[in-house]
Amino acid sequence: MKLTSEQVNDIALESRLLLTEQELAGAVRYINNFLEMLDRFKELDLKDVEPFSFAEAIECPLRDDTVIAFKDNEAILHESEHVDGPYFKVPRIMEE
Amino acid sequence: MQPFEYNLHEILEKLAAKEFSPAELFESCKNRIDSCEKNIHAFITRTDETAKAQLDKNPSSPLAGVPTVLKDNLCTKGIRTTAASKILGNWKPPYDASAWKDLREAGAILMGKVNMDEFAMGNTCGNSAFGPTANPNDISRVPGGSSGGSAAAVSAGYVPFALGSDTGGSIRQPASYCGVYGLKPTYGMVSRYGLISYGSSLDQIGPFARTVRDLQLVMSLIAKYDPMDSSCFREKHPDFTHREDVSLKGKKVALVKEFQSFTLDAPIAEAMNKVKKILEDEGAIITEVSLPVIARYAVACYYALAMSEAHTNLERYDGVRLGYTVKDATGIKEMFERVRSYGFGSEVKSRIIAGTCLTEPVRCEEYYVAATKVRTLIAQEFTRAFGETDFILQPVTPSLPPKIGEVDEDELKGYETDLYTLPVNLAGLPGLSFFTGYSDTLPVGLQLIGPRWSDPELLNAGVIIERHTGSPKIANGGLK
Amino acid sequence: MSELTFTPVIGIEIHIRLKSDSKLFCSCSTNTDAPANTNICPVCMGLPGTLPRLNHRVVEQGMLAGFALNCGIRPKSLFFRKSYFYPDLPKGHQVSQCDLPITTSGYIEVHDDNGNLKKIRVHHLHLEEDVGSLHHSASDGRLEGADTSYVDYNRSGTPLAEIVSEPDVASAREAVEYVTTLRRRVIYSGASDVELEKGMMRFDANVSMKCSDGRWGKKVEVKNMNSFKALERAIEFEIKRQKKLMLAGEDVMQETRHWNDAKGITSPSRVKESYRKFIVEPDLPPLYISQEWIDRMRAKMPEMPDVRADRYVNEMGVPREVADFLTDDKNLADYFEACVKAGAKPVRAAHWIRTEVLRVLNEKQLKISDFHFKPEVLTDLVTRVDEGKLSTTQGKEVFDYMIANSVSIDDAVKSLNITEGGVAGNALSEIIEAVLKANPDVLEEIKSGKDKKGKKLKFLQGLVMKESKGQAKPQEVAEAIAEAVK
Repeated sequence: MKLTSEQVNDIALESRLLLTEQELAGAVRYINNFLEMLDRFKELDLKDVEPFSFAEAIECPLRDDTVIAFKDNEAILHESEHVDGPYFKVPRIMEE
Repeated sequence: MQPFEYNLHEILEKLAAKEFSPAELFESCKNRIDSCEKNIHAFITRTDETAKAQLDKNPSSPLAGVPTVLKDNLCTKGIRTTAASKILGNWKPPYDASAWKDLREAGAILMGKVNMDEFAMGNTCGNSAFGPTANPNDISRVPGGSSGGSAAAVSAGYVPFALGSDTGGSIRQPASYCGVYGLKPTYGMVSRYGLISYGSSLDQIGPFARTVRDLQLVMSLIAKYDPMDSSCFREKHPDFTHREDVSLKGKKVALVKEFQSFTLDAPIAEAMNKVKKILEDEGAIITEVSLPVIARYAVACYYALAMSEAHTNLERYDGVRLGYTVKDATGIKEMFERVRSYGFGSEVKSRIIAGTCLTEPVRCEEYYVAATKVRTLIAQEFTRAFGETDFILQPVTPSLPPKIGEVDEDELKGYETDLYTLPVNLAGLPGLSFFTGYSDTLPVGLQLIGPRWSDPELLNAGVIIERHTGSPKIANGGLK
Repeated sequence: MSELTFTPVIGIEIHIRLKSDSKLFCSCSTNTDAPANTNICPVCMGLPGTLPRLNHRVVEQGMLAGFALNCGIRPKSLFFRKSYFYPDLPKGHQVSQCDLPITTSGYIEVHDDNGNLKKIRVHHLHLEEDVGSLHHSASDGRLEGADTSYVDYNRSGTPLAEIVSEPDVASAREAVEYVTTLRRRVIYSGASDVELEKGMMRFDANVSMKCSDGRWGKKVEVKNMNSFKALERAIEFEIKRQKKLMLAGEDVMQETRHWNDAKGITSPSRVKESYRKFIVEPDLPPLYISQEWIDRMRAKMPEMPDVRADRYVNEMGVPREVADFLTDDKNLADYFEACVKAGAKPVRAAHWIRTEVLRVLNEKQLKISDFHFKPEVLTDLVTRVDEGKLSTTQGKEVFDYMIANSVSIDDAVKSLNITEGGVAGNALSEIIEAVLKANPDVLEEIKSGKDKKGKKLKFLQGLVMKESKGQAKPQEVAEAIAEAVK
């Protein structure tokens, strides 16, 4: 089923994106063509197929629980325009 | 011949023989860049001035003094890294990508960070916040993408080799468009640590060079286990040593049955026949494999997964910790919305929305989960195929590089042209994009695919083919 | 018609910080008391290009905590990306095992209102990363009305276990018993210290009401409870609120509400619940746990507190209430068992620890782990009391003296010039004679049978004890006096 521009706009907002009229129109066309392409999956019987996780059996490697401090946290803080003293300062979180 | 015109392994010989010094090589490459860059626009950030200081460091190391460039989605400590997006602003990573660290420690000299499609989303290198890059063989045409800057830089003779990344063809397609060699390694062979993620389960870093032997050189340095990347394989120790005594006798090389009905530009069809002949002359057996699921479902499966992963990889760009931001927002939601709406280009936005859409609780099973299952079928289909053949030979793209700006409006039609490259990423296979010759001024490339971990064998086959086709020459870079 | 009755149906989600030196996916220290934004690195800050690396110890802590909740371990589990935008969440998604957790289901036993044991089923326990911490500019430090907030990412990426119960909890009291028991068992397992004051345990509750007339109220998720008290009050408040609505024939809205501890109320959450979608974390291969590993970890599990308490009661004759008290704190119980092992009579040792040791700990604001009085020494002391070498009073004096001056028992006894073995036989009869001489009138009253309640007798006993500096045995004194006044 095709998505309306309202639906697409809601999804955009969930992704914290504000779209111009033009962008929205483009996105609606894009998504609907895309979903149409994906409808091909319905031709396949996937009931007993395992979801793909990795190209071949690989176990999650485990790291020893040893502390190695990252020396240069200043270099990290330096990159933000929102740093205020030792903190990152952000505007109001609670919505009106 | 000037130093910049030599290939990597020749450069190493001549540096060793002191036929020219690292400084002369550096100047030669720098001059080449200065004269062509206005036509090519491969760079986002040039670092040759600061790199100069590195020249005399560790002269004994394997790549001592050899200039290179990196696709701008590879993190470089203290050097601006943008992924060709406005949203990263002037971000300077506090660390090096592992693959670059390996090259840096081997003595490579960084000439700069090169152009790409924003967050590697695109196949023309035109979807960049820093404007398009031109194809050095014909500056009215695209270099391909997303690693267009890396391919162009090697093709134009800026540097003997470069690194890029390949999520659905982003190394192999621009290599083919620009007339250089490009390898998309087996997933898990080269560490992804420090590669700005697009589709994490598909992304892989790989090299560009003007000879296969040079690819072997670079792979021998970057193909190693890295504990920083949990998807890296510890047990594997691929051997990329260059050998002359390699042969294709008795090797099976298959064409894909389902692809035979698809139309190809004449030069590409001719190249297929030419290479088939070469392979037969070398004693290989040309066969056919059937990949029905891949032919019909790979494109849909690929984009469903790439976008589902991409939208979560791009959630971190909110303006709080780094990159572009706004200071006057009255609420956090407004801040996030303004940062992301301005910071991302429209192709990226469309893919974020698509990815979000597919993974919404209401559609997750129908699309995202279904795609992960289709991916299993695709991987199985390849496994079956490689039970019957050693390699698969196929085009990289159905057509030669289009003119800049002439790219199809319908994005999804653009996607269909990726059918030859992206199945490889879905199954985590290696793919070699190799030069076959020229059609008029434009290079024509083809692709050789092998089972997982067959990268060394792929390159050996490439060495043999290169003997017949000859290596590509350096493109004129828009100079008369 | 009969009056409507309501049954609360409550499920509880608990977040517990697991004990480890380094974070879940990077090697930064988990010390959240460090100066703001000093324990951060490219990984826990979610910088572009970084990748997670799973902490071996946290996996084992998750297994131990799982065992403590009677859960099984899954041979294969996965990590997922749980998406939502919030400034304390660096990647814009939380990496969590939500969909294929490390443990299977389990249960915790609590007492229902009739005092019978009932099982609260645990749906599962899963591993996930914590987010950074926020400080709000509002005068009361709360989120509401704060125009700016300050983010400290030290906590970002520290390891959490999320424990999800089935809706088996029927009251605020049961909820508190569930989380208390659960906390105690997790501490025993060694998976976490669960220091409440450090916010190492946080609660959300899903509360709905079932009415006797067949109506089912909608589920309300109550968030932001950081103490047992808050959990109890929040649930009680919700039960009242929903009951009231349903009695008035209104519907309970399905919503998320926030507990305001200051006001003691829940109110609709004004932070928009951005819905969450999961995709597999592509940067972490599946976590495989071998049976051999599971067995090895299970072997590490200590005896659980309730089992331990039962053993004290059944095998050592310790009163239930004292046994529960001792086992509430693992270290205290370990101290007790060390005494028993050293030869102390269990019941006496238990009481001493309960009264004397605890008194000293409270006075000195000490944890039992910091208490330097060796179990062997305490055993020696209580045994002397037990054998009558010291009276209880003397025992306590000696104990206090030893604590105060950190000297050996014998030195303490000397310094307090106590003759061990106490006053008995002739020495005792002499004192009694003297006392009786000194109080002829009292003696008279007793003899004439006026002392019905035996008060006078007690009075005389007191005097004798006093004369003997407490070194006489009370029962001997009582008998001797009874004899003397015949």
